[in-house]
Amino acid sequence: MTAPLPNPGKKYDLDFARWVYDNVNGGDKMALCMQCGVCSGSCPIGTNMDHGPRKLFMMIRAGMQEAVMTSNTPANCTSCYRCVVRCPRSVPVTYILQDLLAKQAELGYRAKDSNENIAFAKSFWWSARAFGRTDERLVTAKYYWSFGPAEFWKRSMENLKIALGFIKKGRMHIGMPHSVKDKKGLKAILDKAREIESRG
Amino acid sequence: MTETATPTKPKKPGVYVCKGCGIGEAVDADALANVAKSEFRIQTTATQDACCSDEGVAAIKADVDAGTVDGVVVAACSHRVMADRFRFNGTPVVRANLREHVAWSQPPGEEDTEMLAADQVRMAITQVQLTLPPLPSQVQEYSRTLLVLGGGITGMTAAREAVKAGHPVILVEKTDQLGGWANKWAGRMPYRPPYRDVQDSGIAKLVEAVKADKDIDVKLDTRVVKTAGQPGAFTVTLSHGGQESVVNVGAVVVATGFRPYDATKLGHLGYGASPDIVTGVELEAMLKAGGELKRKSDGKPVKHIAFVQCAGSRDPDHLPYCSSVCCGVSIKQALQITKADAKASAYIVYEELRTPGTAEEFYRQAQEAGVIFMKGKATKVDAGAMQVSYTDELLGTEVPLAGLDMIVLATGMVPNSTDPDVPVVEPEKSEAQLKGDINPFSAIPVAGYKPGGAEGPTPPAMPHLDRIPEGGPILNLQYRQGPHIPVLADGFSDSHYICFPYETRRTGIYTAGPVRRPMDMAESAEDAAGAVMKAIQAIQGSKMGVSLHPRVGDLSFPKVGHEKCTKCRRCTVECPFGAIDEDETGRPIINPARCRRCGTCMGACPVQTITFDNYNPQMVNAMIEANEIPDEFSEKPRILVLACENDAYPALDMAGINREKWSPYVRTIPVRCLGSVTLQWVSTALQKGYDGIMLMGCKSGDDYQCHFVKGSAIAKERMSKVGETLKSLALEKERVTMAEVSIADSHRVPKVLNEFAELIGGLDPNPMKGF
Amino acid sequence: MSDNKKVRMTYYPGCSSQGSARHLDESLRAVLPEMGVEIDDIADWNCCGASVGHIGGGQLPNLSLTGRNLAKARERGTQDVITGCAACYLNTHGGNEKIKADVKKKAQVNEALAAGDLKYDGDLKVRHVCEVLVNDVGVDKIKDRVKNPLTGLKVAGYVGCQTVRPFAQTQAGGEYDSYDDPNFLDDFTEACGATAVPFQNKTSCCGGSVAVMSPDRTLHLIKNILEEAKEAGADVISTPCPLCQTNVEMYQDQINAKYGTDYKIPVVFYSQLMAVAFGMDGDKDAALQRNTNASDKLDKLAKRGG
Repeated sequence: MTAPLPNPGKKYDLDFARWVYDNVNGGDKMALCMQCGVCSGSCPIGTNMDHGPRKLFMMIRAGMQEAVMTSNTPANCTSCYRCVVRCPRSVPVTYILQDLLAKQAELGYRAKDSNENIAFAKSFWWSARAFGRTDERLVTAKYYWSFGPAEFWKRSMENLKIALGFIKKGRMHIGMPHSVKDKKGLKAILDKAREIESRG
Repeated sequence: MTETATPTKPKKPGVYVCKGCGIGEAVDADALANVAKSEFRIQTTATQDACCSDEGVAAIKADVDAGTVDGVVVAACSHRVMADRFRFNGTPVVRANLREHVAWSQPPGEEDTEMLAADQVRMAITQVQLTLPPLPSQVQEYSRTLLVLGGGITGMTAAREAVKAGHPVILVEKTDQLGGWANKWAGRMPYRPPYRDVQDSGIAKLVEAVKADKDIDVKLDTRVVKTAGQPGAFTVTLSHGGQESVVNVGAVVVATGFRPYDATKLGHLGYGASPDIVTGVELEAMLKAGGELKRKSDGKPVKHIAFVQCAGSRDPDHLPYCSSVCCGVSIKQALQITKADAKASAYIVYEELRTPGTAEEFYRQAQEAGVIFMKGKATKVDAGAMQVSYTDELLGTEVPLAGLDMIVLATGMVPNSTDPDVPVVEPEKSEAQLKGDINPFSAIPVAGYKPGGAEGPTPPAMPHLDRIPEGGPILNLQYRQGPHIPVLADGFSDSHYICFPYETRRTGIYTAGPVRRPMDMAESAEDAAGAVMKAIQAIQGSKMGVSLHPRVGDLSFPKVGHEKCTKCRRCTVECPFGAIDEDETGRPIINPARCRRCGTCMGACPVQTITFDNYNPQMVNAMIEANEIPDEFSEKPRILVLACENDAYPALDMAGINREKWSPYVRTIPVRCLGSVTLQWVSTALQKGYDGIMLMGCKSGDDYQCHFVKGSAIAKERMSKVGETLKSLALEKERVTMAEVSIADSHRVPKVLNEFAELIGGLDPNPMKGF
Repeated sequence: MSDNKKVRMTYYPGCSSQGSARHLDESLRAVLPEMGVEIDDIADWNCCGASVGHIGGGQLPNLSLTGRNLAKARERGTQDVITGCAACYLNTHGGNEKIKADVKKKAQVNEALAAGDLKYDGDLKVRHVCEVLVNDVGVDKIKDRVKNPLTGLKVAGYVGCQTVRPFAQTQAGGEYDSYDDPNFLDDFTEACGATAVPFQNKTSCCGGSVAVMSPDRTLHLIKNILEEAKEAGADVISTPCPLCQTNVEMYQDQINAKYGTDYKIPVVFYSQLMAVAFGMDGDKDAALQRNTNASDKLDKLAKRGG
């Protein structure tokens, strides 16, 4: 479980940088960032972000907790890993952003653009935990549904043609979800893992 | 040394003309030998295929050994090469440069080329005829002991190094214990692989080693009252508990270190407004005390701390320079705090971080440990809110670090080139002496001598002259030029830190450690070893009666013709090294061991009565006059170049080696330093009919490149007065000029010469020709 | 690998093998044995966690998914585990290396696995099929198997991200190609007798899972890929990555609607090309019928009913 932020809601927080170093996956390596900006320059979708990774990391050092925890930078990461392989200081940028996204949600911040990511991640995990497998059909449906019936209908219609095409080609099946045989064992493992993580 | 017969000038020199390296193709060697024969009545002349070959050298040697010749002119390559080949038992040898300055830089076979070569031979013969083989200056009693001033890491290392090299040491420390600042340090920056962790200062061990060394006479609670004498034979008066004693030492290493910049001047950074705003030195003491780091104000543990780098450094209102160690020190302290308390946040607010070489490893270690580095300039420190505001260069915004438990100002180093504990005696005079000596463009004002003058240049603004560290002299030198060791920029002792580290402008006295430039412990220890080597050389040189740096081994030294001396004091005032004192009557007294043999005194003397046996006003005068000056109808102007032999002449040689071409009308005479150029040479040349004169030497100013520190600056000042001479001869002002060149300027010097030749060609010929 | 030597590996198909990327799975199962790689599936394999598992479920539960898969794989012995899916490779290879390197993580994963009566000691190697083809099989052997060269077929090799990043240049990742400008896919294309067209966007991102959850944010990325492929005159885009194949293929209509373009470019897996080039059945082995944008040219080249 993530340690609570030292001063939630405060604009600047002197403890924030070390909190990130200690609690975010890969955060300890972030301390080595030398602010060259190769990550931001390599990002395929940086224009969507309110801050590039370089700047976000400097904001973390500057203790700009609120701005960082509501930033849309993590939500827009497409996990292309270009920044990771190019970083001259071996900072695992993608991993850090992904975990920052999780921390934003976990600690109740409503980061810009992150609704969809969080809803998608939750739908995905529901399938993974319930069946041990990703049922693309159900994950998508559940994901659409998380925005309410109207949005579900709208998005379903938008993508109906794709879905029908897939069904026709046998790439989306009708019927019971694919599943592992030992669902009980898998759940036990995942629940145990969650319990270990929350005890820290 | 055994006394030999009084040397005399050569009466029957031999002239040997070389035909190698293209000289034979460029000029008529036989014709040159003929110049010697017909014009100078030289009995022994020869042409050789290669003077430097075994046969060539053997032939010359045979003539010398047989007594046929008592002086040698080798008309071949530059005197800067093959010097070891042409050495014949102390017989004067002069080289006429036919290779770099003729064969390699002029078109072969042309009339102008032949004329230049003939003049080179004429000047060389004239020079050898006026050369007296110098004898060493009188050898006084000398001491092998070194005086080391300062018992910190630099001084103690210097003492140990000197003893290892076989020299006893008197180590003087003004406090009651050895160790210096290092006693107060909580560890030091790493200086051994893997360069990642804070290391023990090791100072206790070094103190023990020094105390146990029987060859180091440690004098604690002791001060230097005064210092007199010269290298090899300094007499130093020490004071301990009111008791004075005199010691004799051969050389001095000054390791007086630094004082931290006075933080009370940093009110704008909150110093003094809160007990929790401290300097790096103060924090160091708290870390040294050990235990949990607590606030001074209320004893609460320090969880959030910010270091403000460059506090008062690189700031025109405070210290304009970088002290180089503060970054490493703050990194060290932040790392120590972060490692001791995993929950502590240590911020380092920096503009540029200086972590050269292995310090980069240390920096990385601190980053890995979680020290937080913020790039930007601290704009405000608020003691009430305990807030450091800074403009983050990477975010482009102002960032407040508020609610800090402690703020550390990383202050810089001020050199102890004066002693803060010694009162300034006669403040006005001390300041004038120090500042006057620092500014290469100004001489020290003394009665009867006014620098500058009506037409003199305005000395450039040198704001750093106001930053002389407060205090009295550290050695209290009993020198005519005052008690101080001269300082240069920002109060650090004046030594060219790249070319000639450790040297000061007082021969036999060497500075090491932070008094010379800001440095850390590892650098200081290395510096100490370097200074000791120089100090030992000083003792050896004075024992042999030869010159030290930069004319190492030179036997000649300046002699004053007292019968002609007018006691004008210009020599005592202008000597860059304080080598000349005055007796009660005002007569100059030269201390040969303090002298660097630059000849600045010689250039200063208005009656040309300061001479070296092998270099003097009369000799150069004769060389200038020896050249043939074609009449005004020939359209062959003549340009005299007096070239500094340290940088300008080598640059010309290299231009020749690169086969660069320059005007054939140039006649070059190497001089020891532009400081040795007397105005008389200029007026001689003008009267002889030279059309233009150029002084070619080193850069002056506080980034000087002059080997003799002030020589080129003094020449510049003197030349500013040449206008009067030109006016009296009804000649144009442009005929006399100065050019600053460096040794790397080989591609530029031909251009400089050619442009001047073009300018002179545009003027009417000097009407004094053939007068 | 000498000419007729066979090797057994444990195969991790991944969830997309039962859905959107069935044609990758089917074609791999067809061509791998042809090249001497015999495969056994991980028994009762589960999801790898993909790009968002750790966000939805947490770091350790996500890592435990990999732990369970590898514990199951280890039951077959110490033979290498291979997968053709980029995300499966990223999670499973990366998770495996983490378990090997981080003692604390390994202990925690095993504590979780114990709840399902499993354990994993970190003694397996997890590899990408492409890495195996480059390092173990070799392009020459692929060439040897070609009976039906794809002469005249122009192919834009689109590698995508996670097949090469962040492991292709690491020692554990087999150092099989470069992160930014890999050659292996074009080598496969050429080995099949087709022509690899120059393709700058070979490792540009398609938007990954962000493209799935909110296409609007990433359609421009896919458009760039299509645009260059079209300009290069490619008949098909070839890719090793399931999500790349799906994203680049399925969004073409939406892109056309948004940008007024008329893309209809077939996107196939390299393994489908291999199956055709090996002279295998166009449907059963190459699974060409599963592409929503069919390539007439490729269809014509394919053998049927063989």
